[in-house]
Amino acid sequence: MQRIPIIERSNLKEAAANHGFEYAPGKGVSGWNERAYYQFSLDQIEGEIEAPAQEIEGMCFQVVGRAINNESVLDRLCIPEIFWDYIANSWNNREKNLLGRMDFSYKAGDAAKLLEYNADTPTTLYESAIFQWEWLEEVLKQGVISNNSDQLNDIHESIVEAFSNLKIETLTHFACNQNIEDDKGTLDYIKECAQEAGIESCSLGIEDIGLNDQGRLTDVDDQIITTLVKLYPWEWIMDEAFGQYVPSCGVRFIEPPWKAILSNKGLLPLLWGMFEGHPNLLPAFFEDDPAAIDFMNDGNYVGKPMLSRQGANIEIIQGGKTLCHSEGPYADNARIIQGFHPLPKFEGNHPLVGCWMVASKAVGLSIREDNTLITGKDAQVIPHVILD
Amino acid sequence: MKSRSSISIVFMMSVSLIALTSCDEPKVDASIFKTLDQCKKDPLVSSDECVSNFKEARNQHAAVAPKYASKADCQADFGEAKCEQAPYRTSSGGSVFMPMMMGYMMGSMMGGRRSMMSQPLYQSAQSPNSFRTADNRNVGSTTGRTRVANSATNRPSFKSRTRARGGFGSSGGRFGSAAT
Repeated sequence: MQRIPIIERSNLKEAAANHGFEYAPGKGVSGWNERAYYQFSLDQIEGEIEAPAQEIEGMCFQVVGRAINNESVLDRLCIPEIFWDYIANSWNNREKNLLGRMDFSYKAGDAAKLLEYNADTPTTLYESAIFQWEWLEEVLKQGVISNNSDQLNDIHESIVEAFSNLKIETLTHFACNQNIEDDKGTLDYIKECAQEAGIESCSLGIEDIGLNDQGRLTDVDDQIITTLVKLYPWEWIMDEAFGQYVPSCGVRFIEPPWKAILSNKGLLPLLWGMFEGHPNLLPAFFEDDPAAIDFMNDGNYVGKPMLSRQGANIEIIQGGKTLCHSEGPYADNARIIQGFHPLPKFEGNHPLVGCWMVASKAVGLSIREDNTLITGKDAQVIPHVILD
Repeated sequence: MKSRSSISIVFMMSVSLIALTSCDEPKVDASIFKTLDQCKKDPLVSSDECVSNFKEARNQHAAVAPKYASKADCQADFGEAKCEQAPYRTSSGGSVFMPMMMGYMMGSMMGGRRSMMSQPLYQSAQSPNSFRTADNRNVGSTTGRTRVANSATNRPSFKSRTRARGGFGSSGGRFGSAAT
């Protein structure tokens, strides 16, 4: 794994415009940086990232299978009781899932360590699936990198195929908070993939969803929603006013309800509890677990809210002192404690390696860099290549 | 487009749907009839098929037809004397209106989608000669055997009154992006 500087494409401004990204002279595309790329060997990608991600996916399924039969686990994950059967049924009925991204701390030669699993509302999808691929095609065409270079990137084809396999025959709705450009952009892209798979689709704001007399969810035209692809976290849905109607509203949700177990950082202590010592896992504990207290006494750990996003409210303790912490709106959330395994550093940048899971298959890679050990919302996606 | 606060905005579909129907979609065989009698006179369809398909469409009519809280709104979309009272009440007890069924569409026995369900058709005030499905898909003005967009043969959605909106979205307002 190397970080290799490269000249930004001369047509980056046009490329950005073609894909609806913001571009500022001197700064480039917001959230994207192509003044460097990461190069991996095929063995690194296949053996040290793809294979572990695939193995962890299988372990996650075991966690879900156990959690749905254990009320104290669901309670610990802060899942309201009225959703317990609902989540269990979605798992027992094998409701198919679509997307997730596992984030790893990875340094060549060391086992990649799972930092978290964004299993419900992963973003930077378009950058990873489309923009990154287009970058590779163009730099290959320009001859500035070896023409044997490849990418782990079957994301787009895999999403289209996954939509076909979902066997959706009705109008499908796509809902998110449309005021947030990133969220809307990501969901619009997912919708394009669905359309490519021949699915009839319709977008709406999450706040525009209605409830009818029969307790069904409706769109702005009062049509009953039967399939809903959402870019809106399960924990928010469960917590909000219409949440109580969800278990009986008859909607097929994508992601399915059981993803609420995986997208919760409580997944990390559950994984550690079942697979303690696994080379790709870090020790992790619920903060109120006595084992967490012993672990914290050692003075090196990371505290994370169970339900938080974009690197908010993370605290890194090293040698008993706060090394780094981030602000955010999730301070009153219950936390987990995880072993501290710092991201590697390349010219002052800390890459976080994301492995895209589409329908539970590891099919793509995206790297986000931040200049701190906590990857936050200012992180930039950096393209990658595979070259031996 | 009527405002979102009106009880039912039904005949106006979302933009994405309109865009979809304008695309070059594959067409399939179907038969359209104004009345049961017209169907019975068609030599290509047996009388039994006419009756069973008519009944199927008729039975769906009340559930799938666009709904309005005022007769005037319904008539504005479908024309004078083309609306009837629906067997529903608004949450405050008021009447609900819907357009009259003006025809029905069934699968063609000749190579069409045999599994296709029969469905009721409507005619808007704006283009009174064309038939539309309950989901506002224009299926043309031809009666008897015809070809229609494949998506127009989908089972029409149930239209019902929305009693509340805004029950989702508050966390997004508080926390911002859902991105991870």
